[in-house]
Amino acid sequence: MRSRRNFSLSSLRRLSQLFFVILFLILFRKTDYAGTDQLPYAVNIFFRLDPLVAASVMLGAEVIITLVLYSVIVVFLTLLFGRFFCGWVCPLGSLLDLCHGLIPQQKKGSRGRFKSWKYLLLTLILTFAFFGLPLVGYFDPFSILVRSMTIVLDPFLYWIVSTPFDFLYKVAPGWITKASELIYAQLKQFILPYNQKVYTLTSMSLIIFLLIFALEKVERRFWCRNLCPLGGLLALLSRFSFLRGYIQETCNDCQSCNKVCRMEAIDSQMRIIPEDCNLCLDCRDLCLNKSVSFKFKRPSEKLPSLGVSRRAFVGTLFAGIILPAFFKVRADTKMANPSLIRPPGAINERKFLNRCIRCGGCMKVCPTNALHPSLFEAGAEGIFAPRLIPRIGFCEFNCTLCGQVCPTGAINRLVLKEKQKTVIGTTYFDKNRCLPYAKGIPCIVCEEHCPTPDKAIKLREAQVFNPEGKTVTIKQPYLIDRFCIGCGICENKCPVEGTAAVIVLKKSEKVNLPF
Amino acid sequence: MDRREFLKKLGRWTGSISFSLPILQQVVPSAKAEVRTTLLSCAEGKDYSTLVSKVLDPLGGITALVKKDERVVIKPNIAWDRTPEQGANTHPEIVKSLVAICLEAGASQVMVFDRPVNEERRCYATSGIKAAVESLGDRRVSCPYIDQRKFIPVRIDKGKSITEWEFYKDALEADCYINVPVAKQHGSIGLSLGLKNIMGVIGGRRGFIHLSLAQRIADLNTVIKPRLTLIDATRIIFRNGPSGGSLNDVKVINTLIASRDTVAADAYTTTLFQMAPEAIDSTIAAYQLGLGEMDLKKIKIIRV
Repeated sequence: MRSRRNFSLSSLRRLSQLFFVILFLILFRKTDYAGTDQLPYAVNIFFRLDPLVAASVMLGAEVIITLVLYSVIVVFLTLLFGRFFCGWVCPLGSLLDLCHGLIPQQKKGSRGRFKSWKYLLLTLILTFAFFGLPLVGYFDPFSILVRSMTIVLDPFLYWIVSTPFDFLYKVAPGWITKASELIYAQLKQFILPYNQKVYTLTSMSLIIFLLIFALEKVERRFWCRNLCPLGGLLALLSRFSFLRGYIQETCNDCQSCNKVCRMEAIDSQMRIIPEDCNLCLDCRDLCLNKSVSFKFKRPSEKLPSLGVSRRAFVGTLFAGIILPAFFKVRADTKMANPSLIRPPGAINERKFLNRCIRCGGCMKVCPTNALHPSLFEAGAEGIFAPRLIPRIGFCEFNCTLCGQVCPTGAINRLVLKEKQKTVIGTTYFDKNRCLPYAKGIPCIVCEEHCPTPDKAIKLREAQVFNPEGKTVTIKQPYLIDRFCIGCGICENKCPVEGTAAVIVLKKSEKVNLPF
Repeated sequence: MDRREFLKKLGRWTGSISFSLPILQQVVPSAKAEVRTTLLSCAEGKDYSTLVSKVLDPLGGITALVKKDERVVIKPNIAWDRTPEQGANTHPEIVKSLVAICLEAGASQVMVFDRPVNEERRCYATSGIKAAVESLGDRRVSCPYIDQRKFIPVRIDKGKSITEWEFYKDALEADCYINVPVAKQHGSIGLSLGLKNIMGVIGGRRGFIHLSLAQRIADLNTVIKPRLTLIDATRIIFRNGPSGGSLNDVKVINTLIASRDTVAADAYTTTLFQMAPEAIDSTIAAYQLGLGEMDLKKIKIIRV
């Protein structure tokens, strides 16, 4: 008689992983303008389920942020089932599993030497958060994944697919182009991003992403076992979980469970350690004499320690308290970088940096490719936070998408009317380069594009010398400060080569616009 | 295949492909000027679905303009992420009824497109034009976004200020090109009318055109000669154009102007803004290039 055991739970787990990877990819693709200014889905749902994001952002902001309270669900489920999230849900973990066959591992592995790092990292992130140095975005698995996909992988995908099709379009005879364009259209509709975007910090993002995969060479799921602070948080919760794995006496010590375990969760005494086990259930399904079982029962004996020495913990805590202080005594605190234009609705700069989790969602959704990850413009702690680069893209007057995508409220969700009055910067004319001023050549491109209903850029006539030395009457642009919201379309469209003759710089004061 | 042979083959392929590329970037000579009749028609009415055929009647109706099985390109203004009420784009109902009568006239294909200033999807959606055109549900009609690969360099022999520029292939190849601009104020040339609408079918950095806007617009207009220019003056932006945004700057005058002569259409429409045709430099420049008539006395104006 076939026992119930023959039903493979691990294939159910694989199905779940596949489901969440696909869901993740679909939500990523849906993080785009779709015909209306309202996003039809909660595309940021993974972040809102993430208790690490919730904990660190709320610690940093010192307020309850309702957006991320969904993560309570994950906390609750982890208290029941352990680190199931890492094994069944997390798309980064699933992608690592997917690439398992492609990355050959070293024989020895780390033998658990680095397992405590994730707890120390978690401690550091949370204390940093409390003392005002945002770190979570650089280590949260979803942040890393969405950011890498936005900045590098997605633009790369578009380029690598479109280039051969564009080449065929250019050189191939009609009958080939007809077929290739048909395929291309399908790909564009269902697989590719809408258009080719470009971003700053691509190489840096790619290196971080590849590093996580390269670490697979040391051992399977190196990231999840040793570094992932979300994994660390869930691991701590798992020590109280109800669902536990047991290896019974019937075990004949064949060690196949140990070999198959992707998390190295089985210790020398053949106990399944709850904070390591991600419930992939491979051991249960592979055990030849069915000695592995998972039950809703807590063991009577005490769990082995986490492996974090008191010294390391206290040291990390100390570093977490002290290091942020160094960031308070830099010149940046007195002199904000004027080129640092934040998305509309971004909260006060200091709070913004603490609340932004560097996920890149706003950069993904921005329809004009205006938002880019910053490098040191906001100091070292501002890396990967979004900034508007007007020369690459401008802020669409009728668009509020970035605020809708932001999972933590670092960018407020603005209604369109508010957004159109939100000042993110202000405009300056470089009269040494602006054509009507510098050369007496007519040009009104900035004025033409200015989107505020009463134009912030206006024209006035002036008598100037033209390039031939004749006096001509020409229209010169000037700014009505109180109308300008700093959208940057003027800088974007300025026909002067290289650096524009009209430049948008950050403006921090709140101003009331009269329209 | 050994390595040496592989490299040789690779070299040959790369070489031949790269040498063949320049041949494909053909330069299309500009089309010859057509004989024009300076007939202009002007209609007023609140029912936009019938207003288009009404204004075309004095010109012989649509059948005089669109022949059976012709590939028609309709070029409205879809430049801005603005609603129809804001008047920065051609009114969707006007475009829709124009497409409809072209189909009735037996057009084999009707394409509606523009190269927008704001994000293209936003412009096509907010202007209402994509939805209006697609609501006709006819397979011959399409409202595609601009495909950057379709811009091809064209020599502008008659150009005084520019001699070559990229034009959109579909616009060049159309059997019948219909120009459907919206009339509005413009900071540089005074008004943005029929001639200015050509800016939506050219590639490259359009800011460059502005450095001598009036002359360059006229130069560009020597390349594509619309069979018909239908100026939408149902709503005119008289201030803060060409993007507008405030309903206070829009006047609803429910008027359409139609002519085979773009210069004539522009010249007449200028009077609706209480200005003389000579106030608009692009009209003068185009007139001087022989693109049409701007003397209102020489234009036969029929009001319907």
